Amino acid sequence: MSILAYNGGAVVAMKGQDCVAIATDKRFGIQAQTVSTNFPKVFQMGPTLYVGLPGLATDTQTVFQRLKFRMNLYELKENRMMRPKTFSAMLSNLLYERRFGPYFIEPVIAGLDPYDNQPYVCNMDLIGCPNEPEDFVVSGTCSEQLYGMCEALWEPNLKPDELFETISQALVNAADRDAISGWGAVVYIIEKDKITEKHVKTRMD
Amino acid sequence: MATSVINTYSDPSLPEWMSAPHSTGTSIMACEFDGGVVIGADSRTTTGAYIANRVTDKLTKITDQIYCCRSGSAADTQAIADIVTYHLNFHKMELGDPPLVETAAAIFRELCYNYRDSLMAGILVAGWDKKKGAQIYSIPIGGMVQRQAVSIGGSGSSYVYGYVDANFKPNMTKEEAKKFVTDTLTLAILRDGSSGGVVRLGVITEAGVERSVILGDQLPKFYEG
Repeated sequence: MSILAYNGGAVVAMKGQDCVAIATDKRFGIQAQTVSTNFPKVFQMGPTLYVGLPGLATDTQTVFQRLKFRMNLYELKENRMMRPKTFSAMLSNLLYERRFGPYFIEPVIAGLDPYDNQPYVCNMDLIGCPNEPEDFVVSGTCSEQLYGMCEALWEPNLKPDELFETISQALVNAADRDAISGWGAVVYIIEKDKITEKHVKTRMD
Repeated sequence: MATSVINTYSDPSLPEWMSAPHSTGTSIMACEFDGGVVIGADSRTTTGAYIANRVTDKLTKITDQIYCCRSGSAADTQAIADIVTYHLNFHKMELGDPPLVETAAAIFRELCYNYRDSLMAGILVAGWDKKKGAQIYSIPIGGMVQRQAVSIGGSGSSYVYGYVDANFKPNMTKEEAKKFVTDTLTLAILRDGSSGGVVRLGVITEAGVERSVILGDQLPKFYEG
């Protein structure tokens, strides 16, 4: 089995009209066994900046800690909030530093630029190659299923409540075709002046 | 002329589930009650981590009053069940009576033991006959046969041995037995990634077989952490 599929998990992020959404499943398992149903893989890095870290669970925790460390130092030294594009570059650098012994994480970034409020999504492979599309990004053990769902459901300029429906259906239906993702989900809708965190009821199988 | 061929089985750029054999990583169960036997199974078939079928029927009819619960390789168990059904059909005609559950179990055993190196099949044979009433025969991988009053199998069974040992009682009513099987399989589905979907039940008595399905949202609720 692939190391990236040892713990299982899925994350997706989408752009909307003046908003972004990011969603994660909550399963933590060891191969086929589900150990916990409260292990979300999305973390808040700034007021309107979220990162999803699906992959090997130990690296999810370590990369989050190291990322938080670097970001805190940046914000102390520069005395300003980090922009999503810059955060992306920093994460890419963190991963490429480990080019020949990588972290087994394929991250997803979603945020609104704190200065011009432009929506931003990005995903990378485990050695930091960034991809910044105009629509959506996916990652995890059901990424193929997620691509299919997102391609079918996403359209440009979705309002926050429409975006919530779209991203939730994409994640839930993709995870329902994956034996090692699911067991609960959390969706974050990020707007200029508020963040909505919703725990979605899903199949627990 | 040059032709290009993609070998779906060894191409590393393709997802792993395209070359993984179909297996019923599974939770199956059979339980005797007063007057019959309740059989149950989940409905998930996986190729690798991809869920190939989420509404599989793993409770397969062998004769009118003998069913089997299949776990292991989907191809192997389907092929074995088809062969056993053929043999028993023939035997029934020669015998002039419905076949015995122990006969079905013996034919399953012959196949599972003699071809043990080539097969991956864990089967529960359950049914009712005039001679011994309700019976369950467990035939795990390797091909031994063991009659039991309650039996569990498949990858999900590991998580519920304790629950079954603590909660099984002989001579339950039909409704108690159905609830017991449903609860047990729900717990297995909750923990095992290779099990899921719906819970399919069958109740086999002297009168025949009644099949039912319990959909995902109707399953009992347990602590979900």
